[in-house]
Amino acid sequence: MTGTAPPAKPRPVVQPWARPFWEATREGRLALQYCRACHVHVHYPRIACPHCGGDRMEWRTASGRGTIYSYTVVVSNAPSAFTADMPYVVAIIHLDEGVRMLSNVVGCDPDALRCDMPVEVVFERIDDEFTLPKFRPIEA
Amino acid sequence: MSRGKTAIVGIGEIPTGRHPDRGAISYALEAARLAIADAGIAKDEIDFVIPTTAVFSFQFSNELTTCRLVEELGLKSVSANATVFSGGSSSTNALRIASALIETGRARCILFVHCDKLGTGVSAQGGIDLFSTAGISMEWEVPFGQHYSTVAALATQRYKHETGTTDEELSAVCVSNRKWAELNPNAFFRKPLTLEEVMASKMLATPLRAKHSNMLFDGGAAFVVTSAERARDLVPRPAYVLGEGGVVTHFAYHQEPDLTRFGWASAGRQAFAEAGIAPSDIDVAEIYDSYPIYQLIAMEEIGLCARGEAGAMHLRGDTWPGGRLPTTTDGGMLSKGHIGAGGSVSLLVEAARQVMGKAGARQVPNCRFAVETAVGGTYMDAQVTILGNEP
Ligand SMILES: [Zn+2]
Repeated sequence: MTGTAPPAKPRPVVQPWARPFWEATREGRLALQYCRACHVHVHYPRIACPHCGGDRMEWRTASGRGTIYSYTVVVSNAPSAFTADMPYVVAIIHLDEGVRMLSNVVGCDPDALRCDMPVEVVFERIDDEFTLPKFRPIEA
Repeated sequence: MSRGKTAIVGIGEIPTGRHPDRGAISYALEAARLAIADAGIAKDEIDFVIPTTAVFSFQFSNELTTCRLVEELGLKSVSANATVFSGGSSSTNALRIASALIETGRARCILFVHCDKLGTGVSAQGGIDLFSTAGISMEWEVPFGQHYSTVAALATQRYKHETGTTDEELSAVCVSNRKWAELNPNAFFRKPLTLEEVMASKMLATPLRAKHSNMLFDGGAAFVVTSAERARDLVPRPAYVLGEGGVVTHFAYHQEPDLTRFGWASAGRQAFAEAGIAPSDIDVAEIYDSYPIYQLIAMEEIGLCARGEAGAMHLRGDTWPGGRLPTTTDGGMLSKGHIGAGGSVSLLVEAARQVMGKAGARQVPNCRFAVETAVGGTYMDAQVTILGNEP
């Protein structure tokens, strides 16, 4: 792998019905779909509600708060585009709205992370088009 | 499906390894010819061929899909060649479909073939990069650096948190599977492995270490399925298909509701109910082991031991040669080696081999019932198969 630049970071391959999610992150908001028939949030965004199959879906701004369901600190053998980021944290966040999201936990000592630790969203702009929602521990 | 109406009558396998000088087609052809010979049939009794996908090459997989095996093997009586692919659960799904075709009279004698060339057909980093997108959401996971080590590590971390299983117990899976691989001439890693070596190996993604990770190799295997009636005339000890169960839970890994359980409990209940036996009747367990965590979870959830107990079983030696519940007796992906969809092909072939009494130094005495588990993608499904030596 010497002599060649690492490949560019993979950018989200966006489905048309998920555009409001990415538009919101650009504005520094976390937006989630909500089914007005089932009265539940849905993530990731779907073309129809995965519970009732209906299309009474609307976008709501989420609290941006949740807990770490599980996490891992990547220290070696990452995909090429991520080797320069090591160590980095991949985590599944359980949002207070009852849905899960895969993300990174940033701005923390990786050794201090624990399952079920409370976190809040932060926004990381990667280019003009994409801002990724990431999470950091909430200070006790 | 109905219990014991079909059986595996022939198996073939080439050693897992690195064969840079051999084309992948040679593994498929050799495994197929071994399986046909093992079944004691003439090649032209095969009337249906099910290849599965070789992940290393789209071109090569297309050749398998477009009947290359039928032509190269010179099979003259084949009505259909249809690829079945669901990643690591391909063998189970192929057996399920083969059994249905035979029971309904659509086919009489079905050849399933797998081969792949992940050891020498792709570079080491190429393998990591390939598995950083295969079955991983391009919108919701890939941009955050998700790949197969993080996938396994996320389940391991949560499972440790909920059950109190230790790194030592987790690592004992690798030691146990290696003890079986030492006895398997088709396994790649055959030198003894200690708990200390596993726990001192390089950290990949906490708490997952290098020796908790499978390695990719070249290899291939095949099996022949026919009706129970025909099976009795062909071979002395067919491996009858007694029960099957399956549950599909997710595509994107973060959507799985419980990373410490997956769909195994329901899949296991279905398979045991169909087979009419209990988990305590099982003589040998061939458990999908791409990482140790999945061997622990599947064993517990299908009822081979209590929740949180599987690690201790491996540490105590219950799963070792001579143990109370011989487990993953071909060495598994952790020690025999990972060959793409072949992980569970190997395990299904080994389950049949044990039931047929052909496992040599690894033979479990009086093996009546074998359970095999398989899973594809990022552990998207839970598939359980029970084989037995009587219909
Ligand atoms: Zn709904």
